[in-house]
Amino acid sequence: MEVTVKIFRYNPEKDQRGNYVTYKVEADENDRVLDVLEFIKGKTDGTLSFRRSCAHGVCGSDAMRINGRNMLACKVLIRDLGANITVEPLLGLKVAKDLIVDMEPFFDNYKKVLPYFINESALPENGRERLQSPEDRARFDESTKCILCAACTTSCPSYWANGEYYGPAAIVTAHRFIFDSRDEAAGERLQILAETDGVARCHTVYNCTEACPREIKITKAIGEVKMAMITGKLD
Amino acid sequence: MGLKRNVSLSAGLRYKGPGAYLTYILHRIGGLGMAIFIAVHILAAFIGGRTGGFLNGIYENWAFQIFIFFCALFHAINGLRITILDLFPKLLEYQPEAIWIEWAVFIPLFGISAFVILNTALGG
Repeated sequence: MEVTVKIFRYNPEKDQRGNYVTYKVEADENDRVLDVLEFIKGKTDGTLSFRRSCAHGVCGSDAMRINGRNMLACKVLIRDLGANITVEPLLGLKVAKDLIVDMEPFFDNYKKVLPYFINESALPENGRERLQSPEDRARFDESTKCILCAACTTSCPSYWANGEYYGPAAIVTAHRFIFDSRDEAAGERLQILAETDGVARCHTVYNCTEACPREIKITKAIGEVKMAMITGKLD
Repeated sequence: MGLKRNVSLSAGLRYKGPGAYLTYILHRIGGLGMAIFIAVHILAAFIGGRTGGFLNGIYENWAFQIFIFFCALFHAINGLRITILDLFPKLLEYQPEAIWIEWAVFIPLFGISAFVILNTALGG
């Protein structure tokens, strides 16, 4: 089938503002958007820039706005989009070139929630790992799936309005450690998230949950963090 | 670094979010509508005279009343949904269902009320 692909283009060395360029490509309906982008870059226009790495929905580097919604280009098939496709960079982050955005502010916010395991207690007597029951592990299983693609954060109107808002991805990461029974810094993280740019900026718009390529129930995770903050309980 | 991070209103509105995104937008319009209503109401009472009469005419107009009723009712029902889901995060899993219930409550209530306002304005 012939697919018409309209792509946002911006070259910081030449352009004052972005513009759209349309390409017509022969594609199979089972091709992914990433295949089409690679075809265009390889055969039609080598100047097209976009991020990609694993190309299998694991690394999260090819998150972009496809037909108006955040998705991973490597996970969406042409047959699910039709013959007319519009590809744009993520919203709320500066465009570096074409479909590449500056991810630094996203990772700066991520770092603010202490995204690492904290436990200052001595190791168990046998010197081996800190054990955890399957039930305790299941408590935060959902939030371990995050691949930091930024599809959720850049779909959030609160983040569009204020780049200082930590954003859904950072809160999901905080959730992963707050509800980990082995971690000892839940209180510290909850205090960070109680700041002006923390969870209070979430207005349960639900764009993040819909955008997540890993199907994490992000709004629910944020809701659980909000409740833990109010009640002081982690159960 | 290139283009700014600012997201324009039109770019934000063009984002194809789920049903909850529409309710988020309508919630903001509802809040704005009520603020306009209250401002017009206060101004009309404060200014008085011909200008006050003109402002009275705006908020007593049936079309404006239907619009304001839409704003107030939607804002209230949507706010209730958000409050319930905020208090019981486990229910956030059922957000799509909650939105269907919200519309199921809003549409008949608004429909009947709009009919009554219209019937009173045009019929009586």
